[in-house]
Order: sequence, then C-alpha cells, then structure tokens
Amino acid sequence: MSDVNWRLAMRSLKRDLRAADVRALFMALVLAVAASTMIAFFLDRLERGLERQAGQMLGGDLVLEQRDPFSDELRATLRDAGFTLSDQIDLVSMISRGDRFQPASLKAVDDVYPHYGTSYVDFGDGTEQVASGPPPGEAWADPRLIELIEIELGDQVQVGQTELTVTGIIEREADQSSGFGSFNPRLMLNTADIDATGLVQEGSRVEFEILAAGPPAALDEVQALLAELRREGVEVRDVRVDRPQLGNALQRAESYLGLAGLAAVLLAGVAVAMSTRRYVERHLDTAALLRCFGASQRQLVTIFSLQLIGLALVASTIGALLGLIGQALLIWLLVSFLPMTLPPPGLMPLGLGVFTALAVLVGFAGPTLLRIKQVSALKVLRRELDPLPPSAWLVVGVAGVVFGGLLWLYSGSLPLAIALLIGGALLLGLLWVISALLLSGLLRVVKRFSGRSEWSQALRLGGRQLARRRQAGLGQLLAFSVTFFAMAMIVLVRGDLLTTWQDQLPDNTPNYFAINIQPSERDAFEAAISPRVETQSTLYPMVRGRIVAINDQSPRDAVPPDARGDNSLRRELNLTWQAELPEGNEVVAGEWFSAEQSGDEESQGWMSAVESTPQQTTQQTAPVPISVEDGLAERLGLSIGDEMTFSVGSDEITTQITSLRSLNWDSFRPNFFVIFPPGVLEQFGHSYITAFHLPEAEDGLIRELISDFPGVSLLNVDAILGQVRDVLTQVTRAVELVLALVLLAGVSVLYAALTASRPVRAHESGLLRVFGAGSRMISRVQGAEYALLGFASGLMGAVLAELATAALYIYLLDLAPRFHLGLWVLLPVGGALLIGVIGHALSRGLRRQAPAASLGLLGEA
Amino acid sequence: MYADKLSKQVTSGERSLTILHDLSLNVAAGESVAILGKSGAGKSTLLGLLAGLDTPSDGELTLFGQALSRLDEDGRAALRAGRVGFVFQNFQLLPTLSALENVMLPLELSPRAGETQTAAQWLERVGLGERVDHLPKQLSGGEQQRVAVARAFVTDPELVFADEPTGNLDPDTGAQVIDLLFTLNREAGTTLILVTHDHALARRCDRCLRLDHGKLEPFEPAALNAEESQ
Repeated sequence: MSDVNWRLAMRSLKRDLRAADVRALFMALVLAVAASTMIAFFLDRLERGLERQAGQMLGGDLVLEQRDPFSDELRATLRDAGFTLSDQIDLVSMISRGDRFQPASLKAVDDVYPHYGTSYVDFGDGTEQVASGPPPGEAWADPRLIELIEIELGDQVQVGQTELTVTGIIEREADQSSGFGSFNPRLMLNTADIDATGLVQEGSRVEFEILAAGPPAALDEVQALLAELRREGVEVRDVRVDRPQLGNALQRAESYLGLAGLAAVLLAGVAVAMSTRRYVERHLDTAALLRCFGASQRQLVTIFSLQLIGLALVASTIGALLGLIGQALLIWLLVSFLPMTLPPPGLMPLGLGVFTALAVLVGFAGPTLLRIKQVSALKVLRRELDPLPPSAWLVVGVAGVVFGGLLWLYSGSLPLAIALLIGGALLLGLLWVISALLLSGLLRVVKRFSGRSEWSQALRLGGRQLARRRQAGLGQLLAFSVTFFAMAMIVLVRGDLLTTWQDQLPDNTPNYFAINIQPSERDAFEAAISPRVETQSTLYPMVRGRIVAINDQSPRDAVPPDARGDNSLRRELNLTWQAELPEGNEVVAGEWFSAEQSGDEESQGWMSAVESTPQQTTQQTAPVPISVEDGLAERLGLSIGDEMTFSVGSDEITTQITSLRSLNWDSFRPNFFVIFPPGVLEQFGHSYITAFHLPEAEDGLIRELISDFPGVSLLNVDAILGQVRDVLTQVTRAVELVLALVLLAGVSVLYAALTASRPVRAHESGLLRVFGAGSRMISRVQGAEYALLGFASGLMGAVLAELATAALYIYLLDLAPRFHLGLWVLLPVGGALLIGVIGHALSRGLRRQAPAASLGLLGEA
Repeated sequence: MYADKLSKQVTSGERSLTILHDLSLNVAAGESVAILGKSGAGKSTLLGLLAGLDTPSDGELTLFGQALSRLDEDGRAALRAGRVGFVFQNFQLLPTLSALENVMLPLELSPRAGETQTAAQWLERVGLGERVDHLPKQLSGGEQQRVAVARAFVTDPELVFADEPTGNLDPDTGAQVIDLLFTLNREAGTTLILVTHDHALARRCDRCLRLDHGKLEPFEPAALNAEESQ
C-alpha cells in the first residue's frame, strides 16, 4: 500500500509543479537549506581556520612551558595521543662580538620547528620564507641585534662557551608566542648547540617548552593530563583558549552570520507556512474526491506528506548544493586569511541543511497539512463543507517550538533559545494587537479621502477591500512586517558592524610600539617623534613586578587549581601608574582612583605600605589601591577588596583591588593588567612605553630613532595590523553575500503571500469588472490595496527592527544601540512600493481575464 | 444495498431540523433507481448517506452485505474503494489534471496493471479518445461530464451513484450524457442510484421514488408523465 501512496504522491507532485504555491514552497525550502548549509559550512571551516591560525601564533596546538626539562614519559603520552612534538629552549644571556656585549633573548629550536607557517629570514639576498630554524653551528639574529653589536652576515658571535656563525637576519618568526615578553633582541639557534654553550645549568633561568601539533581529538584526549600539569604549575597554552587577538571582530561576524542564517530560515519558514495554506486549500477537493474513491484519512495524510517530503528532499539537495557553492565562494573570498590546506567540508553541515528543511516543513507546514485529514467525503456533494483551518495559535505555536529548537541547535544555548522564543511569542501577541490598531487607523484615514480623482477613489476602494478581509489582511500584514523587520535588521546590523569595525581600526591606528624608553630619554624621545607621527598614545611608565602573595597566601594556593601555571604568576608583570583611566578602558566593578588617592601624595597612609624589607610591613598601613584587568581577575579568582602583594626590585608592596577594568586588547595601544595610582612606583627603576602611527612618508624616522636611542626597542606591528584589516575586509564581503541570501528569502515570502491571495483577488476583480469597472480602475484599486498593506507592514517592521536591534546590540554584539531615522521613512515607503509593484505585477494576468474565468477561479486552480 | 429506518437530523444553533425520517430502501444488484424530489427535499443528503459519505442519526444501512454503522469513516472509505463510482452535478474534475489523469485517479488508489491503458480505453468509450491530454478547462461541460462518467466506470464498480448528472448541462447535451450513462450501466450490469429532478431521466430507471417530507414514496411512470405535463 505504501508503494501506492508513494506513486500517487509523486505523480501528483509532478502535476503540481506548475502551481505557483508549490513553486513558492520549493523556493522557500531551497533558500532555507542554502542559507543554513552555507553558513554552517563556512562557520565550521572558519572555526578550524582560526584554530589553525591560533596554532601558528602559539607555535603549536598545545604549548607546555616550565623551568625544568620535561620527562620522557610525558613526551611518550603526548605522542601516543597523536601529537608531533618540537622542543624549544628560551633563555636570556649575554652575547658578544669582539668588545661589544649585549644581553639577548636566545631561542633554541629543533629540526621539527616550526609546526605551522614560515619565518621571514634575510640570508643576504632579500627576505625569504623559511620553514625551519637555523642548522647546528649557525644562528639568526634580529635587525636590532645586528645594529646593536654591528654584526655582518657570516660573522661569529660568542654565545656562552661556544661560537656560532650568524647566517640570517630574522624579520619575523613563524610563531609569535614570545610577543613582547622579552625586550631583549632575539638570537635564534639550534637546540643541538645548547649543550656546547654551557648556559643551561642548575639554577639558571631557562624555560623549557614543548610545542605539540595534533588534531582536536588529541587535544580532547589529554585534557585531564593538562589540568594535572596546570596544578603542578606548568604553563599550558591551548589553541582553543589562547586565541589570536583578531577574536573580537570575528566573533561578532560569527554571531552575525548565525543570526542572518536564522533570519533566512525564519523568513523561509513564513513563506512555507503561507504557501502550504494555499496548497492545502487547493487540494481539499482532491482530498474529498480521494475520500470518495475510498482513500483512508491516514492515506490522505501520507500521500500529501510524502509529496511535501519529496519536495523537501529535492529542495534540500539543491539547497545543499547551492550552500556548498556558496561556502566555496565565501572561502574563496577569505582565502588569503584562511590557512592553505583546509580539510574538505564535512558532512555535518549537509545533514544540518536537510534536517533544517524537514524541520521547517514540519514546523511551519505540519498543522496546516493536517487539515487535509479532516476533509469529509461529503464535500463532493456540498462544496461549502471545508474543514476549519487550524487555529492560528496552533500554527504559530508549533512553528515557534520548531524554530526554538533550531535556535537551540544553531546557537548551542538553550536559555538563549527559550528567552528568544518567549520574547518572540510576547512580541507576536503585541504585534497582532498593534497591527489590528494600525490597520483600523489607516483604513479610517483612507476612508476620509474625499477627493474625486481616480487615485483617491482607488485608495478608498482598496482600503475598503482590505477592511472586508480584515483577518486575512492582518495575517499578511504580520507576515510582511516580520519580513521587513528581518530584512531591515540584517541590513542595519551589517552597517553598524562595519562602522564599528572601521572605527575600531582607523587609518591612524598605531603601527609601532616603542619600549624601554628611559626616564632620562623620555622628553627627547617624545620631542623626536611628536612632530612626525600621526597618533601617539600616552607614554606609560612601566615597572616590572611579580605577584608574591594573594590575601597573604602564596599565589599558587590562593588561585583556582587550573590557574596555577598562569603566565601572570610565572613571570614579572608590567605595572604602570596613572591618575586618569586610560583611553579604551572601562571600569566594570568598583571605582577608579579618587582625586584624593591619586592627587595629594603626602597625605596618603598607604605610602608607608612600601617597605624596604617584607618583615617590616605592618598591619596598620593601608594597602595601595590598584585597578586590575577583569579577565586576569576572573582567571585568578580575584574580586574587589582582595589583597595582592607584588615584589618590585627588592621591595614588596601590599595592594588592595579597588576596581576591575575591561579593556580592548584589539586596540593596538599599550594595555596593562595592573594599574597603580601615582605616588607609589615612581621610586623604582622604570622605563616608558608608547605606541604611535608612523606614516609611510616618515619611514626614515625609524633609522634615526635606532641610532639616537639605541636602548629603545621599536616593534613594527604593521603586519599584524594588516592581517586584522584583511580579515575585516574579507569578513565584510562574506557578510554581504549572506545578506543577499536573506533578502532573497524575504522576497520569497512576499511572493508566497501574494500567490496565496491571488484567487481571492481574482474573484474580487472579476466582480468589479462585472459591475463595470475598467482595467485601469481595477489595476489602481489593487495597487492601492497592496500599497496600503505595504505601508502598514513597513511601519510595523520599523518599530520591530528598532526595538530588536537595540536589544541585539546590547546583549549579543556588545555594541551601543543607535537610533535609525532612515528606517522609519524607508521601510513604510519602500514597503508600499515593493508590495505595490510585486502584487500589481502578479495580478496583471488576472485583470486581463474575462470575469467569468476569474469568478470561476475561486477555489480552483 | 439495504437501508433500514434511516433518519437524519441536523442541528443549527438550538434548532433541530429533521431531513430524513424512518426511511427504508432496498436496492437489488443490477437495478437502477431514480430518486426525485424538490429542491431542498434532502436528496443529496440521502445520497451522501447511501454512499456512506455521511452517517445517519438513526437507522442502519447495509452496503455489499456490511452494516455501515459498524465501520468507521476509514472503514466505509475502504468499502467504497473500487466498488462504488460517482457522477456529480458539478463534474468534480480536478483542474490541474488532464482528462486521462482524472479518469486514472480512482485506479491509482487500488492499483492494478495497465492503469493508463484502462483509463484511455474508457475515454475512448465515452468518445473522448482524442482529448486525453486536455485539461478540464479546455473541455465543454458535456465533455467534462463524459470524463466524469468514464471515471465512475473505470474501476468496474458494482454500484454507481449519480447526483443530478444533467443539472449543469443544456437539454441536448444532457440527453447525450444520459444515453451514455445508461448504455454503460446496462453493458456493465451495474447498480445505479440516481438523484435528479429531471423526469425524463428518471423515467429511464427501473424504479422511481420520490423524497417528500423526509420519506420515500414509490412513483408510477404514468404519474411522472402527468406531473411532467403540468
């Protein structure tokens, strides 16, 4: 029997392909699947791309670091999990050439180095990309070291007890894991030479690192081991946690794409719901006849469900193919940012696409389709015996639950999905009421049009037609306003995202950092750069200090176990003092230093908190107020009121956290974890740091600075900046592609809705014609009706979009909300035009028909 | 087919209206019966009950030896499948289906070999062999009803119900359709139950009944003649 149903279903589907509602349904499903698979594919690959990139910046997918050599047992465990290992040793040592001495930051790498990416090295014939470190016996130096001890390529330098030949100038290292951690110039050598240097001895300050590269599964496998290592005080950097600084912008882009995908799915769902309604109405006669010929209720439901499922399968195949092409296009747009060797697209997004299509079908078409089951065979004798349409609440309810499920699936957050769903339901109820009020108001206004011109007459008549079908009109109004709302929101959010990104990295974003400026050089340095650079951040004083106690406990005992290996506990922190909150920082808890705390130094009780020996630190001295970065506070489990003791030089300073700050790490300005008020750290040895934007024309300044201020380190961040900008440009293009898809989904809703109301309008125009109205008149009346509908929907859409974008900015995208005046003009006028034109064009054929034909059309074709 | 004391009441609001009251009817296999009555007498309601499309408020109907009251909606539908044919006043052809596809529809529910050929042969028999691919709207009223007749007979049914088959046709066309209906009925030996107010049509049946105030009364052909001449 099921074979019969299948054949019957497929046969009638083939016949049905000519029908406008089936085409609308098909198009909507294709769009829903295309949008969701494209975005799922893309996000999946983007995620993997980001991880790869993070891996490149870290030097591996997993980096372990400690003061002692790692055990062979640990290496074996990591290898068994599927990692490839590379060893690295970091230390600071004096190197020399002739009578020139210079402390340098040594980095010894093995033959596996680097896991990812390439280094940029100049061997004398311009910069080359190299995927290895120096061979034994050789070393590569950075330009600063070359300058400082006047090395030529081929020269020998003394490193500990051995001599190495400098064969390359290293412009950029494949991994940037060291960052600004060390201010000394770099010398890279091979691990094979380390023993010969005799620098690694008991008690020497050496960092041993294992750089491990491996698949995500390997990382999963060793999570327990990593937690254990963290507790033992090993610094663990995991590619999933230690993301590159591009994070913020891309995360927003991901949120946006996810949102856009859902908007497309929702719009397609609305289109599916509207086309199904028409589809079912059109098939009630068929269903009644089939009942008459002996089909059971179940058979009817099976036949029509099979038809729709068949349609959905074909649509999802086409949609998935489009999604695949679309994601390939997205990847192509982003190719210079993504790593070259991406794994092929997985099957998961494909499954997701098909699942989405079926879910949309079940949710948005299911209750309506069940109406077919209720058809009585008696309808063949008494045509008026149509089964009642399912209650609007049931349709909206089921669609809501299914859409909520999709929200959950896509966002991965159940509370968010539930909140959005409840919000949506409340909004819909409110919308219904406002729509009803708006429609009556508008119709009342139109009624007053007393002009005798054809247009006022058309508006009056159109308004009256709309008023007569109030319920149907309300339904369409609701669908159109949701459509306009979703379209407007996607456009608005895109615009604001782009503006925010551009604001975030303006053309004059600092591209150089200057570090290690001595107090005596400070004024001269500032005078040298000020006239020639475009933007310059404050010159921040910087003092190195180590956290030695938290709330009178040793830091390792005071912090959560997982944070024991945290960088901030193992290294000296850069401390600064400021009276004013630095630009781009925001106090999120507690209060910034009062004028009293940072102004009148003499009267401050906490001055005495600085003692020359820890033993003399007494209880009665008030601790120094400090401001801590909120991320660090969270990692170390710190809150307002906690005490931290820092060792600076040979002294200890007891402090108390009085404020937590959030700051923008993407800002390309100096940022600090801990800020003191003025009056405490000045007495310690300090240097200054600043960032500035150097225009290309002033390139010569750098050479002058290097020779005038040899002790100052200049770091060029143009490459990183360029990379971030590239990503933003490319992500913008991706966003635009997705935007086009959402707009297309919006048009499919309009098409479906207008198709659905075609027969009713055909009937009306037939009647008008019978009563003697000419084509022109009918055309104007219909145009006016559509335009009124479009205007009201546009207005509603504007209300919704304004409210929703405000909520989105605050809660999801973390941006400040803005008011969009253009929206309130564009949407109603655009809505009137769009609906007017599409509706008018769709009913053109109807107006040409003889009245008999159009009157007969009602309830048939 | 045997109907015993059928009653049908419908309630609209608080008022209850009796359409059929204690109505009994016995139709033998191969017999043709015409049911006459004024507009609103309940003819279509009776036809709906007899075909099992609707359920009586009271009484029992036995079709093909099965008591319909023991069957649910789906059971009654299954009983009809392939054994009952219908011809309607408004043809009830599906507008998106061609003539051939419309005729095939009942065959598709109870599949057998050569559906397309069978349907085409039936269209040939009703004189529409050349119009198989035409959509209903490309056919005249008479042609549409001939398609409907072919559809009613295509499954070789034991029983055919016709509801005002000439109601929407002009007299000449109506007469042609009636000739066709009775010819096919005679050839196939089918039982025919026909509801009409066309006396000429009723006269061609073996037996005539009149529905009046919810009851069926036998009619003589002579009385029909007299009534017709008034």
